[in-house]
Amino acid sequence: MGLSSVTTGSDTIKFCIFDLRSGQHEGEELNKILFFYPADLPFSTQLSVIGLSEGLITFTRIFSPEAACEVIEAEGHSHVFYEAEPDVWMVMIVEKSKESEAIWRIDALRSVLKEVHSLFMMFHGSIRALLDKEPNGGLIRSHLYSFIMDYLSVTGQSIRIMCWKYFMLLTDLVSGPSGIHNTFRCTVSSLEDTINLFTYAVLRLSPRALSSGLSSWSYLRKGNVSSHAATGSVLANSGAVLDQFYRSRDTSSGEDPSYHIARPLQQDKWTKGKDGFLVSDIWKAEASSSVPTTPTIWLQKTDERVYLCAFQHRNLTLILLFPVTSSLNDQGISLVKQQVLENASLKIVKVEEKLSKGWGGENAYHVSGYRYLLLDGDRNVSRASPPTKVTTLTKESLVALNKLREEVDLEKSRAKSDSPDNDKDMEICIRAKNNAWVIALVTRGKELYMVLEKANETLLYASDAVENFSNRYCNGSFSLD
Amino acid sequence: MGSESDSSTSSDDSAPENPDPNPNPNPNPNSTLIDQTLDAIEDQLASIVLTQTNAIEDSSSEQEVFKDAPNGSLLDENNQPEIGGGEIVDEVEVVGEVEVVSSSIGVVWRRNNSELEVDQPSSPSSSGYAGGRGSSGATSASEIEEVSGDRIREIGREDSFDGMSDSQTAWVPGKRHADEDDASVSWRKRKKHFFILSHSGKPIYSRYGDEHKLAGFSATLQAIISFVENGGDRVKLVRAGKHQVVFLVKGPIYLVCISCTEEPYESLRGQLELIYGQMILILTKSVNRCFEKNPKFDMTPLLVDTYLMLLTTSSDAFYHLKDCRIRIEMVLLKSNVLSEVQRSMLDGGMRVEYLPVDPSARSGTSSPHLSQSRLATDSSDRLQEAFVGIGGPAGLWHFIYRSIYLDQYASSEFSSPINSLQQQKRLYRAYQKLYASMHDKGNGPHKTQFRRDENYVLLCWLTQDFELYAAFDPLADKALAIKTCNRVCQWVKDVENEIFLLGASPFSW
Repeated sequence: MGLSSVTTGSDTIKFCIFDLRSGQHEGEELNKILFFYPADLPFSTQLSVIGLSEGLITFTRIFSPEAACEVIEAEGHSHVFYEAEPDVWMVMIVEKSKESEAIWRIDALRSVLKEVHSLFMMFHGSIRALLDKEPNGGLIRSHLYSFIMDYLSVTGQSIRIMCWKYFMLLTDLVSGPSGIHNTFRCTVSSLEDTINLFTYAVLRLSPRALSSGLSSWSYLRKGNVSSHAATGSVLANSGAVLDQFYRSRDTSSGEDPSYHIARPLQQDKWTKGKDGFLVSDIWKAEASSSVPTTPTIWLQKTDERVYLCAFQHRNLTLILLFPVTSSLNDQGISLVKQQVLENASLKIVKVEEKLSKGWGGENAYHVSGYRYLLLDGDRNVSRASPPTKVTTLTKESLVALNKLREEVDLEKSRAKSDSPDNDKDMEICIRAKNNAWVIALVTRGKELYMVLEKANETLLYASDAVENFSNRYCNGSFSLD
Repeated sequence: MGSESDSSTSSDDSAPENPDPNPNPNPNPNSTLIDQTLDAIEDQLASIVLTQTNAIEDSSSEQEVFKDAPNGSLLDENNQPEIGGGEIVDEVEVVGEVEVVSSSIGVVWRRNNSELEVDQPSSPSSSGYAGGRGSSGATSASEIEEVSGDRIREIGREDSFDGMSDSQTAWVPGKRHADEDDASVSWRKRKKHFFILSHSGKPIYSRYGDEHKLAGFSATLQAIISFVENGGDRVKLVRAGKHQVVFLVKGPIYLVCISCTEEPYESLRGQLELIYGQMILILTKSVNRCFEKNPKFDMTPLLVDTYLMLLTTSSDAFYHLKDCRIRIEMVLLKSNVLSEVQRSMLDGGMRVEYLPVDPSARSGTSSPHLSQSRLATDSSDRLQEAFVGIGGPAGLWHFIYRSIYLDQYASSEFSSPINSLQQQKRLYRAYQKLYASMHDKGNGPHKTQFRRDENYVLLCWLTQDFELYAAFDPLADKALAIKTCNRVCQWVKDVENEIFLLGASPFSW
């Protein structure tokens, strides 16, 4: 997608965030809009998008007061809804391309919205809180704009699903393996916080993402293709466009330029210090100050603010979180860092060695003859065939799998609303039109999806293949015995 | 759409209880989309004159609704239509009954505004049966299975509330719950709504509730559709939790279904298509011209009372039938029967009973049971047989075999544990999902599917010659299930001549 298309306005994606509680009086409807991409769409268009969304939310409430509007499917577009906070809605509108099938899952798109919101909350707190702080919306709008634009510039390629290769990865954006930092041990109690931290770490703290002083373009070119690889044009443009935005906003909107908006998703803002700790100038006490402060984030579960410290040794990144208290200041933090270095360095080195040795490489989870995706909801683990192997599948197979996953999503959500405690148990094997076997197995919180293109005709053969896989790699979870 | 700031409540007469039982915690004037006061429309409605008197509201009149016989148990070649003679005829779904006041015949049929969907017959074993058996009772209605082209469709198996579907009460024609409107809790809780409205937002038909009271709601639906259209797109489906809202636009007619039945989108859309087809069958496409001339054209009166009966597909039969009609007319006039009938109906509330059908006129009434090797030759035996089984080999509970080439299908009887209506409905829903999955628009049709959940093991085969859908016990063994299906297919092929109509396709028009 790239921000290079910001000026054209005819994007394949529209993305908006609005607040139902604002702009209720005639003439003030624009106040509802908290974020809109592409930003250069005329206001009338923006209002009709919001208006339609709001209308459908109200309409569906008539029949389904407990479950909010989820999606509008039209011939040319899908509108994906997500109620991020009470009365704060996010809507993503994706254009269906004529040549290729709709190759995204609605759930996958909704999880992108969830991720954006979750990450935003980790850095800035809730949208409602920012709105309450400044009801005219200036604060929240500037925060949302910079945050989401930064986010899009990084992950834009994944969302712009023109290239079908990526869609299998998109669905596991958060929990899937992505390069070397695929193990994440965390003692933070909340799953959501863990996922947020992991996502952020992968996006910005991995060795590849750090600024090395070289130009970003060539730096990324060097590395392997990661799931978040952005094109050169995006990188080239994003910085320029955003700078322009800030300059124009500052002068034209007359907003108080003194509130500093931390932009944690910005590229090249983290560097590795000599002591191994990662530093960044993203967080500052005030806009005018040039003294960086220690990064802080919000933990959702406990609703507390914590300092974020990251230590990196080769391929291992250690993230330390400690509560923000009045007694702890920058000096205190340096002390803690020192303690870590003194007492834990040796252990860190050893762990890193072990992990690196045990790292099977990018193709570690490749199982020859299978293309699979395994999701373990209990242990919050996922395994999948590496992207390079997935791309060997034909488009028809992938589309069939996608459709199957959508069906499974539907069944799971229905089962959940019927009986939240029981897990749905089901098995679906389809021999698709192109003769590939497309298989979904859901049992006791685990899911296994598989495409077998080289299997023979019979259902039994395909089932045997799955059973073998299950016995060898899934502890027999999916086997019938 | 967002500028409706009218916050008055619905002008409809709300139910005596709380008019808004699901109060929107958000005091958002836009929620009045549904509560729009449409004075203009009210005026229009006031000027509508319904020709239907609805005088006899007890709807005890019977409809002549015959069981569909998709295997083409049409009339025999001699094309002798007998009024009440008991020939099974093909059926077109009935919307209502037309007042046929023909001076020559002098028959007055009862009028009624019946529902588009019908409930289960009171006899459980007569449903879902390809060969059909004829209605088991005078008051029972039929279920409708249409085989149209390439699809097996099933409509009208919906009951209004959860838990009511097990009732064995006879279906009665006429609209139920006609007093509801969009403010009633009960109306909102219906499992499946159908609406037809004009492109100007005028309500034409609603399955539940009084159309006149649904003007505001109808306008909302129209607003949604046009809004999306103005944005250069066409809305197909809205999903919220278990609910789906399916839209279908046919020229000046908008059809909407709101359902929480978990049927696949394609099924619901197909049902809307059938409803539209029904409408057009009666009214023909000249309806479009009427709307062109006058967007506020009200077609409800046209829809109210219509009854169609298809006697034969042979296009040559027209003149012969005309002769027959004239002859019958003469006889009836001579005997003065008709005027008696008319008087009795008006004065004495006489009912015209559904006349029993001669089952031996049917073909294709086989009841395949793998455990029994005898072939079905005498269909009347079948009728009397009350088969209670526990499922066939390998836990086979039910199957449907469709011959693509012949455009006919055969299916097994329902036996234990698929005894009750509830069970049968659930099974058909499962088949629906299976079908939709196999016949995926973009990527299909697929070849084989095996599906297992806590309710069934389902197997589906699609080949160039046939389609097979089979349901087994959820614990059925895969290999055995496959073997069983193979045997079913083999068996059907063996008795093809007996269970299907061969020769020139009986459905060529």
